[in-house]
Amino acid sequence: MINAETAGIIVMLIGLYGLISKENPIKQVLSINVVSLGLILFFIGAGYVEGGDFPIMPSNPVDPLPATLMLTTLVVDVAITALALAMILRNGGEWA
Amino acid sequence: MIAVLVAIPLLFAFLTALTIPLRMEKYARYLFLVGALLPWLAYLLMGEGSEVVGGWPRVGGIEVALDIYSSLLVLGELILFSAVALYSVTYFKKEVKALILLLLVHAGLLGTFISRDLFNFYIFMEIASVSSFALVGFSGEKRAIRAAYKYLMLSLLASYFFVFSIGIIYLKTGYLNLELISQVSPSTEIRAAVALALASLLLKAGIFPLHLWLPDAHANAPSPVSALFSGAVVKAPAYGMLLLSLYLPLPESLRNALLVLAFSSMFFGVGAMLVEGDVKRFLAYSTVSQMGYVLLGIATLNPLGAIYYAFAHMLFKGGLFLSAGAMVDKAKARELDKLSYRGDILLMVSTIMLSLAIGGIWPFVGSPAKAALLKGLPYGRELFYLAGMGTLASFTKLNYYLMKGRGEESGTLALPSVMMALAALLAGFSLGGSPKAMDVYLLLGGAVLFLLLKASGLLEIRLEKREITPGDVNLGAALFALFLLLLLHLSQG
Repeated sequence: MINAETAGIIVMLIGLYGLISKENPIKQVLSINVVSLGLILFFIGAGYVEGGDFPIMPSNPVDPLPATLMLTTLVVDVAITALALAMILRNGGEWA
Repeated sequence: MIAVLVAIPLLFAFLTALTIPLRMEKYARYLFLVGALLPWLAYLLMGEGSEVVGGWPRVGGIEVALDIYSSLLVLGELILFSAVALYSVTYFKKEVKALILLLLVHAGLLGTFISRDLFNFYIFMEIASVSSFALVGFSGEKRAIRAAYKYLMLSLLASYFFVFSIGIIYLKTGYLNLELISQVSPSTEIRAAVALALASLLLKAGIFPLHLWLPDAHANAPSPVSALFSGAVVKAPAYGMLLLSLYLPLPESLRNALLVLAFSSMFFGVGAMLVEGDVKRFLAYSTVSQMGYVLLGIATLNPLGAIYYAFAHMLFKGGLFLSAGAMVDKAKARELDKLSYRGDILLMVSTIMLSLAIGGIWPFVGSPAKAALLKGLPYGRELFYLAGMGTLASFTKLNYYLMKGRGEESGTLALPSVMMALAALLAGFSLGGSPKAMDVYLLLGGAVLFLLLKASGLLEIRLEKREITPGDVNLGAALFALFLLLLLHLSQG
């Protein structure tokens, strides 16, 4: 069994491959989203503790910090995806 | 209290945005100017030092600092942004949205330059770059939007890998604070993380050969925005590299690779400038070349040299872009042979002063900055002087073209560039440069080199203007992947 961190790295690399090989801008935006999902998986895996408790008044908590960091990254992600798609739209039918 | 520096432009960005729904757009420019200039007051009132925001212990809080490294960059950013703001209020008369985005870049940059915490650094760098993506495409021209798209994709890819490297460091040390990270003994994983972070920051700083996005983005942005980009936005990732070199170990092999990259960036930029006929692309390639100098300071573990050069580059490149902007916006053309500063004596004097500053001639700010870099350079001084001569030759070319022809009076548009030229002169004196015989040799060498190249007809070569296609993103991503592997390999060697 692979752990979440390794799986995250693999997903990131798949996204990187997409960005290298796909010429369609929509697919490029999707690829960069795959990279970010891999990153999020990596961080969530990093905070996970086997059999850990939720981090409110805990005895053996999981690490909540990576999850909060990823919330911030997700916000950036949403904003950028919208911006990239808007730019593709502005290019008319030529790119899509 | 240091965090107030960032809070002011952020608050005023919000207030400026509020004028749109309240239908009070005519007041937006005043709010913008207050937001742009009020951080000066905060900066001047604050002493040097560091603090954890909210008074938490270091482990749980976010540390910000205003020490010798940060304060010089913050000062440079404040000077540049004041000039850019002055230009912007006349340039963006009706577009309140551009003013909001500019204030966000301002906040992002100030936040980046004071941060001592990896994730906080990333967030502020990202605030600055996300606003930059939107600003590049602001004019709505097809070419500008395509340049913005390319910049967005490549920069974002690098950002994700940077966050990934932060994740590795956090996983291994349990800290995000750089001071605390530096106390943990380095392991294989941390060295790998440093390599990943460096590769990402190299792309974001526009170092050759990962510079693909830079000339397009910086040349197609609106004039004041170009000045802010070339002057300050590329310094944010450079500051990140500096933080890494200050707090984490850089293996010898990695430093050598950075040294090679720095020199190749310096020479590539000069070569591209000599054959470039578009004034804004010319200056953008010059940024690629000048970022090589900053990287040189980082690669030779000479943080003060890197900071001095970054500060100097903020002043003269920002100023040059502003003076180019004044000419371009009057003539509505970007080709060198259609532009001239002959109509405006102020613009002419300030452009020549800034050209001398970028060549590192006393008494301008480039001179002490180059001296500081040379102090840390163990070998390769001849290459360093050669690159300086190339820079002077290409700026002789710029001034040669601008001397010819007939231009119009720029009026108030010339003022920001005059401000920057005076700042470059004053900063040169206060950083304590001294006149050197080398300056004269370099100036003469640059002029002779220019004349030789002109006589040989090499300057007549014009690169064909290429369309920006999604294929560029593929190329950039492939190069980035290659660099990731290369630096990873070197970090373990």
